[in-house]
Amino acid sequence: MKENLPPKWAMRFFSWYCKDELKDAILGDMLELYHRRVIRITKRKADWLFCWNVLLFFQPFTLKKNLKLHSNHTAMLQHHIKITWRTLLKDKLYSSIKIGGFALGIAICLLIALFVKDELGVDRHYENAESIYRILGATSNPEDTWSRASCFPAPIKNTLLEDFPEVEKAGRLISFDGWFDAGNNLFRPSGQTSNVYEERFAYADPELIEMLQVPMVYGSQATALSQPNSILISKRKADKYYPNENPIGKTIVLNDDEESTFVIGGVMENLKSSHLSGFDFFITLSGKEFWEGEQNSWCCWNYSPYIQVRRGTSEAEMEEKLLHIRDKYVVGWFQEQEDQRAGVIQEHFSLDMQPIGDIYLGSQDVGDFLVVSDRQIVLLFMAIAVFILLLACINFINLSTAKSANRAKEVGLRKVVGSHRTNLIGQFLTESIIYSIVSVVVGVIVAWFAMPYFNAMAGKSLEFPLTEWWPIPLLLVFALVMGVISGIYPSFYLSAFKPISVLRGNISRGSRGSFLRSGLVVFQFVTSIVLIVGAFVVHRQMQYILNKNLGFDKDQVIQVHGVNTMKEKQKVFKNELLNLSEIQFVSASDFLPIKGTSRNGNSYWKEGRTKIDEGVGGQIWWVDADYIDALGMNLIEGRMLSHDIGADTASLVVNQAMVKELGLEQPIGARITRGGPVFNVIGVVEDFHYESLRGSRIEPLAMGRGDYGFASILSIRTNTSDMPATLASISGLWDKFMPQQPIRYSFMDETYARAYEDVKRTSNLFSTFAIFGIIVACLGLFGLSAFMAEQRRKEISIRKVLGASLQAIFQLLTLNFLKLVLISLVVAVPIGWYIMQTWLDDFEYRIDIHWDVFVLSGVMVVFIALITVSFESVKAAIINPANGLRSE
Amino acid sequence: MKGTHLGEFEELVLLAVGILSGDAYGLSITDELEKQTKRNVTISAVHKVLVRLEGKGYLKSHMGGASDLRGGRAKKLYALTGMGTRALKQAKELRNSMWNQVPKVAWEGGKL
Repeated sequence: MKENLPPKWAMRFFSWYCKDELKDAILGDMLELYHRRVIRITKRKADWLFCWNVLLFFQPFTLKKNLKLHSNHTAMLQHHIKITWRTLLKDKLYSSIKIGGFALGIAICLLIALFVKDELGVDRHYENAESIYRILGATSNPEDTWSRASCFPAPIKNTLLEDFPEVEKAGRLISFDGWFDAGNNLFRPSGQTSNVYEERFAYADPELIEMLQVPMVYGSQATALSQPNSILISKRKADKYYPNENPIGKTIVLNDDEESTFVIGGVMENLKSSHLSGFDFFITLSGKEFWEGEQNSWCCWNYSPYIQVRRGTSEAEMEEKLLHIRDKYVVGWFQEQEDQRAGVIQEHFSLDMQPIGDIYLGSQDVGDFLVVSDRQIVLLFMAIAVFILLLACINFINLSTAKSANRAKEVGLRKVVGSHRTNLIGQFLTESIIYSIVSVVVGVIVAWFAMPYFNAMAGKSLEFPLTEWWPIPLLLVFALVMGVISGIYPSFYLSAFKPISVLRGNISRGSRGSFLRSGLVVFQFVTSIVLIVGAFVVHRQMQYILNKNLGFDKDQVIQVHGVNTMKEKQKVFKNELLNLSEIQFVSASDFLPIKGTSRNGNSYWKEGRTKIDEGVGGQIWWVDADYIDALGMNLIEGRMLSHDIGADTASLVVNQAMVKELGLEQPIGARITRGGPVFNVIGVVEDFHYESLRGSRIEPLAMGRGDYGFASILSIRTNTSDMPATLASISGLWDKFMPQQPIRYSFMDETYARAYEDVKRTSNLFSTFAIFGIIVACLGLFGLSAFMAEQRRKEISIRKVLGASLQAIFQLLTLNFLKLVLISLVVAVPIGWYIMQTWLDDFEYRIDIHWDVFVLSGVMVVFIALITVSFESVKAAIINPANGLRSE
Repeated sequence: MKGTHLGEFEELVLLAVGILSGDAYGLSITDELEKQTKRNVTISAVHKVLVRLEGKGYLKSHMGGASDLRGGRAKKLYALTGMGTRALKQAKELRNSMWNQVPKVAWEGGKL
C-alpha cells in the first residue's frame, strides 16, 4: 500500500490551505477513497481524481483563518470585480466586441506562437547540438555570388576522422532523389509477391544515426546500420509491414531486385522535429561501394558529411583547418587529372560548418533535397502575430476610451466620496486585466477548435502542449501583461476626469482623445490593407506559376510509375497503350520537368576544349524518341533522337540555354562532350522549366537516347475528354501485364502544382490572416460607430425634427470614418508595395505588382468599412426623434 | 419552524449518520448516500454539510479509528444530537401531515 500514494504536491497544497480541525479527517477520507480507486481503476486516473477532490475542497469552510483575507485590499478587489462584472453585463454588445476581438487576436497569436516554436525547435534537442555540424562546400564564383552545397566525395568521412583530432564522429548522408535507391522505391518484404511504392529512402552512415540520437523502437543506434546491406525503417513502416512483431533480421526486396536484398537492422521512432523527418528508410553506407573504387576516389561529389567535434572546439578555427581538405585532396585530385580548374578551386572554394540547428531554417541557398523551411516565412508569421495582437489591443483601448462618457459620472461620484486617483487607476486596470483573462480563456478555446484547420493549412501537426507545465503560467502572465498594456491608457484617461465638470454634465462626451482614437483606427486599417494586398499578390504569383507557359504541356499527361519491374515487357506495354485511340504518345524516361524525378550534374565542353575551358554545368537526361511529343515540348531546330538510327547513341538534343552557354554558333552538327565520348548535336529544344520557378534561370540541358536500362516512369499523353474511362483502360491493360503489382499513376499537372505547395500555403495563410485582421479592425470600427451614433442621438433627433433627410444623417455619421479609411489606404499602399516587392524578389520568374491590386484592396476595405459603419448609422438615422429627445 | 429547517441533502446526511450510528464519517456517509440514492455524491459536498450541521448543533463529533489505509489519520466520527433527532422527526411529521392532506382525487388524476 505504501507505494501507492497520490501526488505529493496535491497533498502538500491541501495541508497548506485546510484548517487543522478538518485536515486529518478529510485527508484520511480522501486517502481511503484513493486506495480504493487505485485497485479499481488505474493509478493515473486515481491520481487525477485525487487532485480534483483536493480542488473541490478548496472552499471557504475548509480554509485556514489567515487565508480568508479580510483586509481592505481584498474588499476593494472584490468590489472592483463586482463592478467589472456589472459593466460587462450592462452593455453586452460592447463587452462581446471587446472580448471577442481580443480573443480572436489571442487565438491567432497562440497558433502562430506554437507554429513558430515548432519551427525554431527543429534539431535543437540533441544532447550535443552545439557541437554537431554539417559541412558545406561554398563556392564564390568570379562574379562574387555565393553558392553552397552539401556535397563531398566519399573519402571525406575517413579524412575527417583521420586528419582532424577534433572530430569525434563523422557520418555521411545521401538524400538525392533517384541516386540509386535513395528517393522512392518499390518495396516488399521478402517472401511476398506484390510491390508497394514507398518514398523517403536515404543512405546514411551508422555514425550519423548515433550522432543524431535517432530514438529506437527495436535494435540500437550502434548496431542498426553497422552490417552491410542493413536498413533502418521507421515505426510507421514497421507497423505497416510487420504489425506487432520485431522485424529485425527480416529481409526486404527493393525494385524486384532479388540479387541484392536488405536486412532490417533496426526500427526507429517516426522522426520528429528534425531536418530528416522526411525519411522513413535509411540504407546503410557501411561496406557500400556504388561502383568500383568509388569509396576512395575524390572524383564524384555525392555525400553530405556531418561531424561531431570535441567540446570547446572553435568553429572559426576548425573551418580554417578544414581548408586542408581542399588543398590536399580536392585540388590534388584536379591536378592529378591535369584539370585547369584546380586553380579556380584553390582560390574560390571553402568549407563551411553549418550548426545542425541551422539546417532546417538556414538552408535556402543550399541545394540538398531535404525538406527545409524558410526563416523568412517564420519571421513573417511572427510579425503578423504581433500586428494582429496590436490590432486587438488597439480595439480594446479605443472602445474603453470611447465609452468614457458613460463612466464619467461614476468617476466623478467616486472622487466626490473620496476616492484617490490611484484607486481609480487600480479599478480600471483590474477591469482590463479581467477582460484580458476572460479573452485569453476564450482565445485558447477558439485556438483549440481552430487547430486542425490551422494544421491543414500550414502543413504541420501541431498539438497543444497539454502535458507540460509552462503553458498555464505563461498564459496567465501573458493575460496580465496584455491587460496592463491595453488598460493603462484608458485607466489614466478615465481617472483624470474632474468631478465638478463631470457632475455638472458639461463634459465633452467622448470627444477627448479622438485624435488618438483616429490614429489607432488608421493604424488598424493600414495593417489590414497591407495584409489584403499581401494576400492578393501571393495569390496572383501562385496563379502565375500554375499557368505560366513552361515550355512543356503538363495538362492531359498521365504518368505511370514503377514500370521498371516490367523489364522487357515495357515495349509491348507501350505499344498496346498506343493502340488505345485516346492515347497519342507514350514516352519512357525517369527525367521529367517536375519535382521528384531524376536529376544529375555534368560539365559540358566543346570538343577538344576539356582541359582548357571551364566546363558549362548542365543536366544529361536519358529519354526516348517520343519524349518531346509526349511532354509537348517544342523542337525549334533539327530533329529528335530516333531509335531507328544507330548513330543516335552518340547524338544529343540540347536546350537553348546550352546553345547559349556553350556559344554554339551553328548548333546542329556541333560536337560537344561531357569529358568522355564526343556527341553530335542533332536538335535544339525550346527552353522549358524543369526546376522550381523560384530558383535560378533555366540551366543548360542535353537529352541523350536512354538505352541504359529500364525507365521507371511512363508519360502518357492523351486527348481524351473522358479521363475516368481512359484511366480504366490503362489500368485494365496494366493488370494484364503486372497482376502482382498495383498500378500507380499521377497527373502531371497535379504533381507540378504540388511542388509549389509552400507558395500555396503562404497564400492561404495570408488570405486567412488578412480576413482575421480585417475582422478585428471592423469589430473596433463597429464599436466606435455604434458609440458615435449613440453619443449624437440627441443631435440627430433634432436634425430630423428640423427636416434633415435620412441620407444627410447617414452621411454625417459615415463620412468621418470613411476619411480615416482613405488616409489608411494612402499610408498602406507604399508599405504593402515595398513588402511584397521584397517577397517577390525571391522568385526568378515573378509577376509585377500593378496598380489594380491596390485599387482592388482599397475598394474592398472601403466597402467593408462602409457596411460596418452603416449598420449603426442607418439605425441612428431611422429612429423616431421623439425617443431620442424624450429623456430630458 | 425557521430554526429547524433542513434542506433535502442535509436531511439525507442526517439520516445516513443515523443509519451508520457509530461508524459515521465522511467517506462512509458518502458511500451510504450513493448506495441509497443511486446518485453521484462528492465527498466535499458531504463534508461541507457535516461541518454546517455540526455548527447548527444537530451533530456532534469525536476523532478516532485511524488506519494505514488512511495514512495514519483519524476519522471524524459523527453522531446525532438530541436537536438533530428532533429536527429529523419534525421534518418527517411535516411531510406526513402534508401527505395526509392531499385529497384522493389528486392521486386518481395522477393515474390518467
